[in-house]
Amino acid sequence: MPTLTIDNLSVTIPDGSTIFEAAAQLGIVVPHFCYHHALGAVGACRMCAVTVVEGKMPGLKMSCMTPAEEGMVVETDTAQAMEFREHVGEWLMTNHPHDCPVCDEGGECQLQEMTISSGHGVRNYRGNKRTYQNQDLGPFIAQEMNRCIQCYRCARTYQDYCGGRDFGPMGSRQRVFFGRFTDGMLESDFSGNIVDVCPTGVLTDKTFRFKTRLWDLQQAPSICPHCSLGCATVPGGRYREIQRVVSGVNVQTNGHFICDRGRFGSSYVNHPKRPRQARVDGTNVPVAQALNRLRDKIAGVIAEHGPGAVAFVGSGRASLEANWLLKQWARSLKCPAPVFELHPRRGRAIRQAVGPLSSHLASLRQVRKSDLVLVIGADPLNEAPMLALALRQAVREGGRIVVLDPRPVDLPCVFEHHPLTQEQILCLLAGRCETGLLNNLLSELMTARRPVLVGGSDLLGGVGLQLLGHLTESCDNDDRYCLIHPLLPRVNSFGGGLLEDAPQEDLLERLENGRIKALVCLESDPGSEHPEAGRMQLALSRLDYLAVFDCLPTHATRRADLLLPTATTVEGDGVYINNEGRMQAFSAALQPGIPIAAVTAGQHPPREFMPETPGSQPQPAWQMLQDLLGERHSVTALRRAMEQSEPRLEGMSRLQPGDEGIKVAPQDPEPVEESTVEIWSQDGDLRLLPVQSCYGSEVASSLSQTVTPRLVTPRLMVHPQEAQQRHLQEGEDVTLKTAHGLFRLRLFCDERMATRRAIVPCLPGTPLEIFVPGGLSLPCDIEGGAS
Amino acid sequence: MSLWRDIKGTLQPFWVTLCNMMRRPVTVQYPEQKQQMAQRYRGRLMLTRDPEGHERCVACHLCSAACPVDCISMQAAEGDDGRRHAAWFRINFTRCIFCGLCTEACPTLAIQVTGEFELAGRDPLKLVWEKDDLLVDHGGHTPDYNFYRQSGVGVAAPRGGLPTETAPVDPKDLMP
Repeated sequence: MPTLTIDNLSVTIPDGSTIFEAAAQLGIVVPHFCYHHALGAVGACRMCAVTVVEGKMPGLKMSCMTPAEEGMVVETDTAQAMEFREHVGEWLMTNHPHDCPVCDEGGECQLQEMTISSGHGVRNYRGNKRTYQNQDLGPFIAQEMNRCIQCYRCARTYQDYCGGRDFGPMGSRQRVFFGRFTDGMLESDFSGNIVDVCPTGVLTDKTFRFKTRLWDLQQAPSICPHCSLGCATVPGGRYREIQRVVSGVNVQTNGHFICDRGRFGSSYVNHPKRPRQARVDGTNVPVAQALNRLRDKIAGVIAEHGPGAVAFVGSGRASLEANWLLKQWARSLKCPAPVFELHPRRGRAIRQAVGPLSSHLASLRQVRKSDLVLVIGADPLNEAPMLALALRQAVREGGRIVVLDPRPVDLPCVFEHHPLTQEQILCLLAGRCETGLLNNLLSELMTARRPVLVGGSDLLGGVGLQLLGHLTESCDNDDRYCLIHPLLPRVNSFGGGLLEDAPQEDLLERLENGRIKALVCLESDPGSEHPEAGRMQLALSRLDYLAVFDCLPTHATRRADLLLPTATTVEGDGVYINNEGRMQAFSAALQPGIPIAAVTAGQHPPREFMPETPGSQPQPAWQMLQDLLGERHSVTALRRAMEQSEPRLEGMSRLQPGDEGIKVAPQDPEPVEESTVEIWSQDGDLRLLPVQSCYGSEVASSLSQTVTPRLVTPRLMVHPQEAQQRHLQEGEDVTLKTAHGLFRLRLFCDERMATRRAIVPCLPGTPLEIFVPGGLSLPCDIEGGAS
Repeated sequence: MSLWRDIKGTLQPFWVTLCNMMRRPVTVQYPEQKQQMAQRYRGRLMLTRDPEGHERCVACHLCSAACPVDCISMQAAEGDDGRRHAAWFRINFTRCIFCGLCTEACPTLAIQVTGEFELAGRDPLKLVWEKDDLLVDHGGHTPDYNFYRQSGVGVAAPRGGLPTETAPVDPKDLMP
């Protein structure tokens, strides 16, 4: 812990820190380009020169490359250092096109800021400027190479940090170019991060092109709603339209980067078919009137059929506050407690994560620091992309990754893949079959210093996670825990599971036997979330009364007798609990409203006065539920009340949007439902496994126009051996026969996947939407040729 | 001394009056007679064009950022030729205080002041001017300036085609 003096201020910093980091701790920003907090220093730009007055090697030094020493005296503003930095600024600007007015980086340009802070103002160089031809890097990234200052940050991010292979530096001397070998879409699912790290306008967000300057953006710290990892984001918008999302910083979860689904998948907020008006029996009414009507209607049903005839459905999409208030509402009406996950198998998995596993949960940071990660039944790039990036960081620091999964798992790093089927994995975990592999892995887990098990709840289910829990406990030793990182279905699944008192009977059965007359859905869509989607939709159509709170157009909102429009994540305040039990607050960046661009078809805003904003009816669900309960508390008062009623939420009222979040208290170790492990026999035939796809499987990204270019087409994937047995060719259109009907799909083969399995992506809005991820594999058959 | 001062103070105003009685009056008979405003008078704003006849405004938002009363709003868009332009551009002259800060901020010399100041009317909405109302077909005070001929983004000239630029490099060439 050396103590040194910088600009007459003394600072003590951890061993191994540089002068630059010491200065940053004092709040002194030394001008810099190539240094980035997540990427470290390379000493390429020579911008961060400072003068070491006293120390082992006095003189002009690059602060990002010089380790801080005990007793060092450093000055950042000596004439020597300032003159050096001014010259560096001038050299970096010799080829700059000076096109700031038409550059999207304007307003947040590090080159602009650092050039000014270096003191350079007038260009003395009289030679001609070097120019480049730009490349088309696809629908997400725009390139303008003339602005480049060759800091290498993009290449270090894309290749080193994110593991992409199709973008990097080319050329020599004055011609160094950053791009692909040929034009084309960037292949990495983390390509958007190069926009964030580029210190100037070479790489900009194409979906945000020419939309808004930073100073006009309405921004707020938020949480990415697309998967259960709960990455920190900063959405920004203007004119009632969400326009971009950039990565927030949370060292415990995502660090400094986010995936492309989180970055580019937010235009669902602007979706033209979003519910924006409260609707009662097909007529638009004010929200207050709809709430009164709902209260009366539910009271009527209870008076007629008893409290058991009303069912409430919470959701992993809704905020913790809204789910908690729904539970309070059900309790005040003496109705059965809400169901928070409609998929019974997924629900059991969530209960495992919230309960028995809660003392062993690992954060993404711990995954990044791990030396052995066992990924069991999870496909990180498709289910939770930032986990794949965390796994890469583990490998970069010398860790090892072993994946057990039937899918052709892709990761941006070196890993060992065992293509086992769902049943084989469960068998293995239960120790009932071929144990050689498990024994090897177990011995490795015992000796690893920071082992982490990643478990996908969709494939493993509650039983699998329970077995995984036993495995972690058996690998614990006195020095460390063996941690577990479960992937859950939705952003607030953990929160829903935490509020659930006792497992309940499947909602579908209660609906089908007619016991339920009225159903209240909070940001959930039974018709697409329940594994028996078809049966569920039929049951819903026989329901007397369906009331839906939602922000997205779903089957339920179309069918609803009473619809209440809620605000999306970027339009309201709330708390989500991510898959490792971390409570994180988000706040509203925008007010709800129909985007001005949609109202005016790109022309100027209407020249008339209106008493209210069009489409501004949506409110955060917790506000509407408070109205129903006859309360009006601030969000802080509400969180305080929640803390008191749920002791595990301790600390919730202290949450600030943009902070690291607070982990929920682990559950007291108490005997839990010990369900028997059922391992079913594996038929020799082909079985169908519906899985999540990175883009388009969860409802928010499927409604986002911007990610359309990355959507996969409905397809069927099998092992080449299966295709060969059936005399089918890759690329051929085949017929998939299942209990849910016949599907015409293009056949793809991949030899990395398990045999005897056919994989289809779950894609809402396509014929494959009948399949819901998270279930067991289904019997199926494939036939080639026309049928 | 005070006596002399008093006498002077009594007579001097009469003398000043007498001198000015003989001069021609300076009062202008406005509105019958129009005044020629000074070149740098800060009246109503306009959007000018470059020497090639294209709109100069690139909707960079600097004028609206500089505006102390927030009377300028706009939305940028990209044209087929890669030109950044204003999809719509609105100045609310009921708010404008004619300070001219927007013209100082403008990096493309698009927004400029005119000598016109007769904006009074009965309908406030008539003082909300859109791009079509603001756009003129000349270069204002700076007829020769063309932003796209100064900055190298390959819009007015092909990439690397400005006199201050070299032709685009071949990044796949590794020759020294």
